[in-house]
Amino acid sequence: MNTNAIDRLKTLLESSSDDTNDAPVILTVHLGTCGIAAGAGKTLETVKTTLASGSVQPIELRSSSCAGLCSYEPMVSVSRNGERPMMYLDVTEDKVNDLFDCIRGVKTAEECHLQIITHDDPFYLKQQTVVFINRGLIDPESLDDALASGAYKGLASILDNMDPAEVITEITKSGLRGRGGGGFPAGVKWSSCVSAAERTEGIPVIVCNADEGDPGAYMDRSILESDPHSIIEGMAIGAYAIGAEEGYIYIRKEYPLAMEILENAIRQARDRNLLGKGLLGTDFSFDLVIHRGAGAFVCGESSALMVSMSGMPGEPRSKYIHTVEYGYKGRPTVLNNVETLANVPRIITRGSKWFASMGTGDVSENPWNGSSGTKVFSLVGDVKNAGLVEIPMGITLREIIYDIGGGIPGGKEFKAVQTGGPSGGVLPADKLDLPVDFDTLTDAGSMMGSGGMVVMDNETCMIQIAKYFVDFLKDESCGKCTPCREGLVALGTILDRIISGDGRQGDIELLEEYGQNMCETSLCALGQTAANPVLSTIEYFRDEYEEHIRDGKCGALKCKALIEYHINAENCTGCTICARNCPADAIRGNLKEPHVIDQEKCIRCGVCREVCNFNAVEVL
Amino acid sequence: MADREMITIEIDGKSVSVEKDTTILEAAQSIDIYIPALCSSELVEPYAACRLCIVEVDDGRKTKLVTSCNYPVRRPIKVYTSSKKVLRNRKITLEMMLSRWPNVQVIKDLAKNAGIEKARYQHPAVDLNPNACILCGLCMRICEQGIWENIINFTNRGAERAVRMPYDSEQPHCVGCGACAEICPTGAITMVDDPNQPYDAEMIRKAGMRITKEMIKYDEEQCDMRGVGTAHLVEIMDAYDLLPVMNYRYGKHEETPKISSDIFRKYFTKGKPDGCWLGCTMACAKAIEDFELKTGPYKGEKVLVDGPEYETLGGSSNMGIFDPYFVAEYNFYCDTYGLDTISFSTGTSFVMECYEAGVLDKEKTGGLEIPFGAKDAALELLHQIGRGEGFGLIVGKGIRYMKKYFVENFGADPDFVFDIGMEAKGMEYSEYVTKESLAQQGGYGIALKGAQHDEAWLIFMDMVNKQIPTFEDKAEALHYFPMWRTWFSLCGLCKLPWNDVEPADNAETDEPAKVPAHVQGYCEFFEGVTGKPQTMDSLIRMSEKVYNFQRVFNLKMGFGRREHDVIPYRSAGPVTVEEYESRQERYDTQLREDVGIDPTGMSSEEKVAATRKFREAQYEHLLDAVYKRRGWTNDGVPTVAKLIELGVDFPDVIELVKKHGG
Ligand SMILES: Cc1cc2nc3c(=O)[nH]c(=O)nc-3n(C[C@H](O)[C@H](O)[C@H](O)COP(=O)(O)O)c2cc1C
Ligand code: SF4
Ligand code: SF4
Ligand code: SF4
Ligand code: SF4
Ligand code: SF4
Ligand code: FES
Ligand code: FES
Repeated sequence: MNTNAIDRLKTLLESSSDDTNDAPVILTVHLGTCGIAAGAGKTLETVKTTLASGSVQPIELRSSSCAGLCSYEPMVSVSRNGERPMMYLDVTEDKVNDLFDCIRGVKTAEECHLQIITHDDPFYLKQQTVVFINRGLIDPESLDDALASGAYKGLASILDNMDPAEVITEITKSGLRGRGGGGFPAGVKWSSCVSAAERTEGIPVIVCNADEGDPGAYMDRSILESDPHSIIEGMAIGAYAIGAEEGYIYIRKEYPLAMEILENAIRQARDRNLLGKGLLGTDFSFDLVIHRGAGAFVCGESSALMVSMSGMPGEPRSKYIHTVEYGYKGRPTVLNNVETLANVPRIITRGSKWFASMGTGDVSENPWNGSSGTKVFSLVGDVKNAGLVEIPMGITLREIIYDIGGGIPGGKEFKAVQTGGPSGGVLPADKLDLPVDFDTLTDAGSMMGSGGMVVMDNETCMIQIAKYFVDFLKDESCGKCTPCREGLVALGTILDRIISGDGRQGDIELLEEYGQNMCETSLCALGQTAANPVLSTIEYFRDEYEEHIRDGKCGALKCKALIEYHINAENCTGCTICARNCPADAIRGNLKEPHVIDQEKCIRCGVCREVCNFNAVEVL
Repeated sequence: MADREMITIEIDGKSVSVEKDTTILEAAQSIDIYIPALCSSELVEPYAACRLCIVEVDDGRKTKLVTSCNYPVRRPIKVYTSSKKVLRNRKITLEMMLSRWPNVQVIKDLAKNAGIEKARYQHPAVDLNPNACILCGLCMRICEQGIWENIINFTNRGAERAVRMPYDSEQPHCVGCGACAEICPTGAITMVDDPNQPYDAEMIRKAGMRITKEMIKYDEEQCDMRGVGTAHLVEIMDAYDLLPVMNYRYGKHEETPKISSDIFRKYFTKGKPDGCWLGCTMACAKAIEDFELKTGPYKGEKVLVDGPEYETLGGSSNMGIFDPYFVAEYNFYCDTYGLDTISFSTGTSFVMECYEAGVLDKEKTGGLEIPFGAKDAALELLHQIGRGEGFGLIVGKGIRYMKKYFVENFGADPDFVFDIGMEAKGMEYSEYVTKESLAQQGGYGIALKGAQHDEAWLIFMDMVNKQIPTFEDKAEALHYFPMWRTWFSLCGLCKLPWNDVEPADNAETDEPAKVPAHVQGYCEFFEGVTGKPQTMDSLIRMSEKVYNFQRVFNLKMGFGRREHDVIPYRSAGPVTVEEYESRQERYDTQLREDVGIDPTGMSSEEKVAATRKFREAQYEHLLDAVYKRRGWTNDGVPTVAKLIELGVDFPDVIELVKKHGG
């Protein structure tokens, strides 16, 4: 201790190239994976060509990461004279000219049909950014940007002022719990790794879990793409705390952009002695290696991940002896999620008290006693503002879905929300006022998981939803243990027969029995939670199951075997559109006479109902 | 090893004390409580896949379901093997299995026991094969952990999971050991016919599996051949005063731990098969990878050292050198130069003793200062031998040559050099101290090819366990074992699996030294190959013919008579006063009890002489007895009658032995 890491960091900061010019207008194109998918790359090119033509100077052009509102990409932020930016939505390449017209004040946004959102919008107002503090603001490719925003200050300060045990205490007191799904207190994990290392005389390693296998979840990807140095710094702090010199980042290979940004960041950090031998002139050394995963969901599970890192097929093992004691290559290993690690530097720089002040419960004595800090959710499904949101722990589902998410589109009603990823649970409307934290969600039969949140409107069939997740997990189960491998087949088979109208009395109980067995006896958390979607839909939507089985009816009109399309002769004008569009050639009728559907031929695709302009097609 | 912590737990109300980290399943089995455990076997590490072995554990704080096959006992707990929760869950798991594999016998039986007739759902991929694979993973684990081959494994995920050979092909790398087929609970694996067309392949496999199973189960606690190979003998020999130190003067040394197997365990490559034969589960040939050489033509290079084995280590202590790096270096260069480590180290020990005794000096060695422990000089000598230069040219020709050379050219005392030059029939002694085992002195002295222990290793039988007290007993052992060991050579088999792993109940048999169960296995093995049934006696008979014929061959070449079975006195007793005094109590007692002389008041020189007289006479008695048992003349020549009996009475053979009084 009492080195001068902080001074070294200051020198680095001063020496960093100051390329901010004093342009009155800064224009930022958001180039996250979501943005690029929506055409942000082309937008950027067009902006560049326009700028090169010289007609709109002086404007400084930057690129940055996703700004969170993924359903409105490509997005471009415009900030004038250092003010908070306005964000233009849906700026595809053809709208770039309009955008410049707005900037120059030639036209109003309305005139060019451009939507604008500011940070005062409810979408942003209810959010609280801790891990996303730099999202959309800094260039993730630039270490200088990161340094200017305070990166590595936490690392420098612990190197100068704290011994490893103090770092662990600080993290424990903050109440930081694992964001990867388990909600295990990070400080407790770190300290048990330290004792395991002493006991077994092993040399610890730290691993970052960036596998993110939940379908539809991309919180971790976004963090990596927007602020990679926060992960490097978080890992370095963790390594210092547990006495590791090696760190690994296990990232799925489906994240090429995140990987590229991360590789670049690691290279930059190494060049400036923020990784490697003797960090910032101290005698603490730490370096990082990236391991690419092949994208199996189960490889996100800690023991499977570590086997996979050793080049073997990812397959979990029992953890009666935990990975903190026997992990990667048998060494004591701390595995933390991306988001968990991204919180670490913030906690160090702003203090555990600050962090614990957000969220629920008093965690100062016991991190299990509440949920502190924030959580990033990927809010998707039947919700107006789909995107990545970071909220303080403890706000309600309603606030997330209605205030931030803008409610249910298309004038439909909310039916349920699924949290916790594929093996989370489904919660009904009367749970909307539950505060979102680890323990409340678990008590309600769902879980925080890694932060997937799928909103469903009243046209959703719960049995179909259960079946969807069971199918996903059936493919992703590693197949090692009987209850998970065969249980998912059993659940799928029974759900299938319910969906196809062959449900039997007793099937619900059977589902519960098998589901319970999977929870109680599966080897890893995948199988132990795999029945959640089934069990929670049964708990909250039992009627719907019974309706399917007893009455052969699907209330949401989604189960094809249980519905019929009919043409209401009173409304039908005989326009023939439906007949011309029917893929099964099932509709008969003369022009200007009511049409009829041949139920034998109809495959219940619903096309007729969609194309009919007179609301004549009804589902029964 | 420190005593393992014992923990007392309660299983279904019965209490049992087990070592820490024992699994609940093992603990339950030890008190005869049955838990169905389909994917578990004592031959492999637990895998916890079938989930049938679940039990309920109360650790004082909460009750939880765990799999007993891999749950380690670490604190006092209460275990319930048949609670309602256990039975309910086990039944459902079995129902799922039955639904997929309705005709597999083990599943049917277990399901029936649990009260299930039929599953309550139709499995979409039901497999009606009675020998279907039930995905227990036993096969791939035994292939990986037991055979160290890692040929078969699972492919695919979820319900698609299946056991496969790589690329679904017949794998040339599969050694065909049959362990996977043997361990499979459903008969899902069958072995294809062997290309060698043996008489009964199944019989051979069974005999092989017996050894494989014993290796997997007992090796670690018996000899740990898989872990450290023969290196484990170093500490044992030292403990029994049998490890040669300073040219066989002594049998132990305080620095032995520096070259013991615990040291080499760290350097040896782990977890890879390293047998002399494809599929050998003993795989005792260890190796050190990336060893950086400090001397010689490859100085500075990183190489693979093939070894060291026991003899190489014993050779090092014999030179008074206790340094693992030296051992690896001399091992590598002996291999590279085509020298054997025994001849080199025993020869160099002789040189060192001569140097210390003044027979040699710096001038005579061409500048080498080479007392015991001089490792740099020893390596330099090794390189000289390799290059065929200087003093190395003399040493490289062996002890028998050196003795004569030192007497003729350096004026050495012939009695002294003949006493301490450890060779017989011109071959250097291997690395055991034989002073306290008369039978083993015979083992070395009579061995046809020279001073080697590979015809008979009788030290423990003779000296430690005192199983062969009379001359007749010793002669019997010196008949049976050389014949038995010759049999391996006749068949081209390695001897080590015969007695470097033993059945658990071997000690309770009539003749544990013969490992009767294994001899029986070799009979089956021979029959499986040839179709000819065998007994222990018939195998010995095969060897006896050859052995006698070889003795006649020795005779023809001038090595086959009593005078050739002499041994240097160092291998029979203390040559020097210093040696005597180092074990004075032992020798004094022997004088009193065995020789019948009261040593009180005798000088050490007198005691050395008296001991020597007695021991040399004993050796002669031994030869008498052995020759007699073998059907040889008192001069060690096979008799005509014996040769006729054995059917090797070829005319020129008969003529030759007759000439020598046979
Ligand atoms: C099937 C399965 C998949 C998982 N996938 C992930 C994942 O993609 N990312 C992640 O961080 N944790 C995942 N986890 C949780 C990890 O096992 C582990 O608990 C976590 O990475 C620990 O980090 P934390 O304490 O910081 O949350 C998964 C767990 C299971 C059972
Ligand atoms: S619970 Fe599922 S994913 Fe986990 S080990 Fe068992 S089969 Fe594999
Ligand atoms: S639901 Fe589809 S198949 Fe049936 S009638 Fe309408 S368009 Fe034709
Ligand atoms: S599209 Fe509608 S209105 Fe036209 S024929 Fe079909 S059902 Fe009648
Ligand atoms: S026969 Fe032996 S080597 Fe071949 S797959 Fe089976 S266990 Fe492995
Ligand atoms: S082949 Fe046999 S041993 Fe191998 S997994 Fe299948 S049932 Fe088990
Ligand atoms: S024997 Fe324990 S899980 Fe199969
Ligand atoms: S070949 Fe295996 S022990 Fe000798």
